[in-house]
Amino acid sequence: MLRRVIAILAMAAATSGCMQYLVQPPQPSLAGTPQTVQAQSYAGGKVQQPGFITAERCKNGEQLARVLVKRNFMQGLVSWITLGMVAPATVEYSCANAGEPPMGGGND
Amino acid sequence: MAAPQPSFNPKKLWMNFHETYSQVMDGEWDLFMPQQAAGLTVADMKETTAQFQKLIGDAKQNGLRVRAVGSSWSLSKAPTTNGWTLNTNRLRGRLKVKPADIDPAYPGTADQKAGLYLFQCGNTVADVNKALESDAQKRALFTSGAANGQTIVGATQCGTHGSALGFGALHDHIVALHLISTANKHYWIERASRPVMSKAWVDGLGATLKRDDDDLFNAAVVAFGSFGVVSAVVIETAPRYLLETHPTQVKLTEDLWKAIGGLDFSVAPFNGKKPYFFQAVINPSGDDVLVMANYRHDGSDGFQPNYDLISAPKSIGPGFDALCALGVILDAFKGVIPAFSKLAAKQLFDTTPKTGTPGMIYGYKPPLLHVASGSIAVALPDARKTLEILIQLYKDIGPVPLVFGCRYVRKSPALLAFNRFATGLMISIDGVDNQHSRAFFAAAADRVEAAGIAFTQHWGKSNAYTPQRVAKAYGGNLQKWLDARRKVLPTIADRAVFDNDYIKERGLAP
Repeated sequence: MLRRVIAILAMAAATSGCMQYLVQPPQPSLAGTPQTVQAQSYAGGKVQQPGFITAERCKNGEQLARVLVKRNFMQGLVSWITLGMVAPATVEYSCANAGEPPMGGGND
Repeated sequence: MAAPQPSFNPKKLWMNFHETYSQVMDGEWDLFMPQQAAGLTVADMKETTAQFQKLIGDAKQNGLRVRAVGSSWSLSKAPTTNGWTLNTNRLRGRLKVKPADIDPAYPGTADQKAGLYLFQCGNTVADVNKALESDAQKRALFTSGAANGQTIVGATQCGTHGSALGFGALHDHIVALHLISTANKHYWIERASRPVMSKAWVDGLGATLKRDDDDLFNAAVVAFGSFGVVSAVVIETAPRYLLETHPTQVKLTEDLWKAIGGLDFSVAPFNGKKPYFFQAVINPSGDDVLVMANYRHDGSDGFQPNYDLISAPKSIGPGFDALCALGVILDAFKGVIPAFSKLAAKQLFDTTPKTGTPGMIYGYKPPLLHVASGSIAVALPDARKTLEILIQLYKDIGPVPLVFGCRYVRKSPALLAFNRFATGLMISIDGVDNQHSRAFFAAAADRVEAAGIAFTQHWGKSNAYTPQRVAKAYGGNLQKWLDARRKVLPTIADRAVFDNDYIKERGLAP
């Protein structure tokens, strides 16, 4: 029983302050693999580092297929201790394939 | 227009889509498609081939391994490499095979001739469905897995199947494939017994035609990427059809065993009506079974498929990463698993009847990380005995956050096909990834083996294959597969480029 309580307390501690938000289109088409960027927000987002995140692996005009913003326990702890003045997060993005390629081959 | 050059990313940690494991690697290459105003051409394919060959050659010269990776969907480590991954999921060209490009000896019917399509490796199952089911094409896949995010080549190389009672697995659509194996050789592979593309077309691609050896085709079609880069496949398709779903929750009675264990549909809730697709999901913590019987309707004129996955604005459901925390809780509190299983079944299984194309029915799903899934296939006569063994195992080791999905697939000629039995029961053991789930997967194979039941395991899911089990499951087919690999990768150095720990641990890279 003690082991279970410890396990659940450890999990509660490890997930407190954590959060995740996922945004994706109704028909996601991912290009390449997900890319991860560490980001910091200061003073409630008035200052950010980086100032904005460029999805630099999206080449040749590709847009975004998926953005996941997440905060783990340590990032949550920093945010809590600083009353939100420093709010680190991890941003994961996936590039998008652009539309449906036309069907080749003609109809003959 | 020329394709953009491949782009290198020195990323060192690769994770599969469901984030159930990670792999250290030496970097990844993104490959891109040429602009295709009028659709994919042979010239485009030649350009992509040259790019793949350059990367394979560079890897070999630098002593690196290589793997082409699509959607990273596998729950097994089949697609992993410690060298370079070649990201193929931007290579989504497709073309309808022209009658003039079909070999005169192609034995297909007029409808089959009209339904031949070439898809490049990066097309997902969703892409294939949408392209085929469009009003312009009005075609469809015969069968499909439950998910649609895998690439067509990733899914077929690992033996993904569905549960269409009269058909095989996804790879059984394939009648030709383009294999790029070394820096100076690429092959167009077909069965001797089923020539498809004209020699002139293959010559135009610059590939070496291999059409004298059914074993080579049957080996390469399910090979986990170990034969090289499968750059494109040609598939046969069905005229577009609709599926009408009838999901119902019932009890595991003797009558229902007749359907699950023997495909006897004279019993309720089928009442003599044989479905096109049938799946029964057994919750081993009770006697509830979710029965999914989908009936086929030919003719779909005027039907407008809608594939959108929409989240209800105020609905509450599991988050993207919910199963990670849940796995820990269920490891600590096994007693809550039966209650959780009932709750999860309500969340995960849509019991609303609907009608749609196969691409809609097996369409986009809410994304979830840390899923657990492993599958065991047995011959239909062994179905009930095997399921009873697994239910007993569940009782013996205590509740585990897993359910048993029963699917049925016809035999494939592929040498290492998961669907190896005349009619096979594929038991898909699905749920939450945690310590107990992983222990269950290992114990399940042990128990079925101890009972003397012949079985195979899904290559793309968690499996407990050993060299001995692979040899026992596939008999003489294993040596034929190994011999076929040597035909397209003739030297030890060539094979080493596409070796990985997954195939070595299973005796597939001696």
